[in-house]
Amino acid sequence: MRALIFAVRSLVRQPGRTALGIIGIAAVGALLFDMLLLSRGLVVSFRDLLDSVGFDVRVTATDSPLPGGIRLTDATGAAAQIARLPGVAEAVPMRTATGEVWQTGRPVIGLTLTGMDPGARRPWTLITGADLGPSLAPPELVVNQSLMDEVGGAIGSEVTLRTGCDSSRAALAPRTFRIVGIAQFPFDDEAQHTAVMTRTALREACGDDKDEADMLMVASSGGAGAAVAAIRAARPDLVPVTNEQIVARMQTQGFTYFRQISAVLSTITLLFGFLLITVLLTVSVNQRLAEIAALRALGFSRGRAAADVLLQGAMLVGAGGILALPLGFALSLWLDQILKAMPGIPASMHFFVFEPRALVLHAALLVTTALLASAYPMWLVARLPIATTLRNEVVG
Amino acid sequence: MIGRRAAIAALCAAVAALSSVASSAPSPAPDILVSRQLLESQQLQVGDVVSLSSDTSGANPRSFRIAGQYEPTPDPMRLGAVRLEVRLHLPDVVSLTAQSDPLDAESVDAINVVLANDDEARATVRRLMTAVPGTVAERAGNDERRAAPFVVLERFHLAIAIVTVIASSVFLLALMLMLVEERRATVGMLRLIGFRRTRILQHVLAEGVVIAITGALFGVVLSVVLEGGINRFFQWRYDTALVFVHITPGVALRSVTVAVPLGVAAIFASSWSLLRGEGISLTRR
Repeated sequence: MRALIFAVRSLVRQPGRTALGIIGIAAVGALLFDMLLLSRGLVVSFRDLLDSVGFDVRVTATDSPLPGGIRLTDATGAAAQIARLPGVAEAVPMRTATGEVWQTGRPVIGLTLTGMDPGARRPWTLITGADLGPSLAPPELVVNQSLMDEVGGAIGSEVTLRTGCDSSRAALAPRTFRIVGIAQFPFDDEAQHTAVMTRTALREACGDDKDEADMLMVASSGGAGAAVAAIRAARPDLVPVTNEQIVARMQTQGFTYFRQISAVLSTITLLFGFLLITVLLTVSVNQRLAEIAALRALGFSRGRAAADVLLQGAMLVGAGGILALPLGFALSLWLDQILKAMPGIPASMHFFVFEPRALVLHAALLVTTALLASAYPMWLVARLPIATTLRNEVVG
Repeated sequence: MIGRRAAIAALCAAVAALSSVASSAPSPAPDILVSRQLLESQQLQVGDVVSLSSDTSGANPRSFRIAGQYEPTPDPMRLGAVRLEVRLHLPDVVSLTAQSDPLDAESVDAINVVLANDDEARATVRRLMTAVPGTVAERAGNDERRAAPFVVLERFHLAIAIVTVIASSVFLLALMLMLVEERRATVGMLRLIGFRRTRILQHVLAEGVVIAITGALFGVVLSVVLEGGINRFFQWRYDTALVFVHITPGVALRSVTVAVPLGVAAIFASSWSLLRGEGISLTRR
């Protein structure tokens, strides 16, 4: 306790230096904290996004979990077969396409189309209006707010829509659809225009006689792993993947850049923090050599003198580390805002996501840095020759 | 380049079904080019005859002879993706991927057009879209959308740089404060023997400029030295020819322009208390 009070007094005696040291460590700590949030932020956010849809298994024709590749055939039959499997609560086929809204005298509005029959679960949240119904005269559309604003109509209004289902085919003739509701789609980015219709409506709009789907969205009842095993056994020609597997794949392929930059910047930040604390403590010790030698002469042990340096370092890092948390949180909001401007990033996804493990790691890294940085000045203090130092300082 | 719908992607997906056939057997198989990554991963050689199928099950394969390997054009958007690709002649792609639809043999993804006069691109796009309804024509040189992610990344890196500079400035100020503290007695002595404040200030500023320029130049040299190592590491990590770090004279100049005034300002700010104090008070310990 006495050692702690003594260290506090040593720091308070140099308020400018102490304040700058704490601010410097806080700035470095804030950057370190942000890099820890960034290292797993996208993965955590992406997993939350996938889980929020309500389906925990996706079944495709190939090992690509993204729509737009090779479609699976006889989708209705496959969905029905999978839905009957033990451990499967629901299986819904989903098909994607592109579309263009045509309005007289106005520019064409491009949009992403999904064809999916609403079941017990649906990957959209209705905000206003009605959900999709079976009507095909005209077929019904649920759109996102961005598209509704661009179209400029009201719920119940009709729009002329041309679908693009297969790039190898000639463009299809536009058809009329009725907007019945506005919904939020979890994977939409800020500027994306999205609409969903029933799969039957999309097949008709595509002029398609094939019963194809990009994927089957499956909700398990007894865990995703068991559902995947059951699907593999029943349909070895299809590729079922869990949300966890998709996240793991994205972690090793899609999000590596941010993990790398996070690792590089964390290392640089720690190195910087190490240098900062080492220099502060070493110069401080060098300036206090006479004082330390005098204290040793008065009976302070080597351990006590070294502990004083260690405690000073710990207090600088502790205060800076605590200050770094709100600073880092504010900084992460700014950086997240910058990165979310990237096209194609869903509006509900975040690059910087807080996890308790980030806080623990942050504390552990700062403590390790403080210990390493204090080692050299502690060694200086511990091996200080009392008589020689006092004589040199007095003569000097 | 003109290609069938998703031809390359489908062929890449079907690469699991790719099998090497005796390389020595004479064959009329058409030629293909294979990416370096695919060649290495499947332990193929130029001259080998391989079977390709556009079906995931490997059904209806066709034989092709590897005429050469190529390095895929580095694409930042595909960082981390293993470039397992083959290049075929258009008729081969069409015959390999055509299904029951008679339009399949007549369809392509896109037609690249080179204009005699670049200035007519906009008008040509308009004419094409009017003349052939349902056709989407766009300028190939319009890279704005493609560059958008990198513009965002640049902003992100700038933000990180700003935070780093702020942290460095605080560090520098703390360091300078301590160094100046050590000179308290020296400055006091100089004041007592008649040096004017402006003279000492000149000395402090000159010293600051020298230290700041030396530090900034050392930083530039260090970054140039690290440039090669960082590029080699990431090129190895992602198996790409992309350049990740490129220190241009402009970047170096910008760094020096920021670092030198900051360094001088830090030294000046930390010396201010000494210049304001009386000589006799500065010499007290």
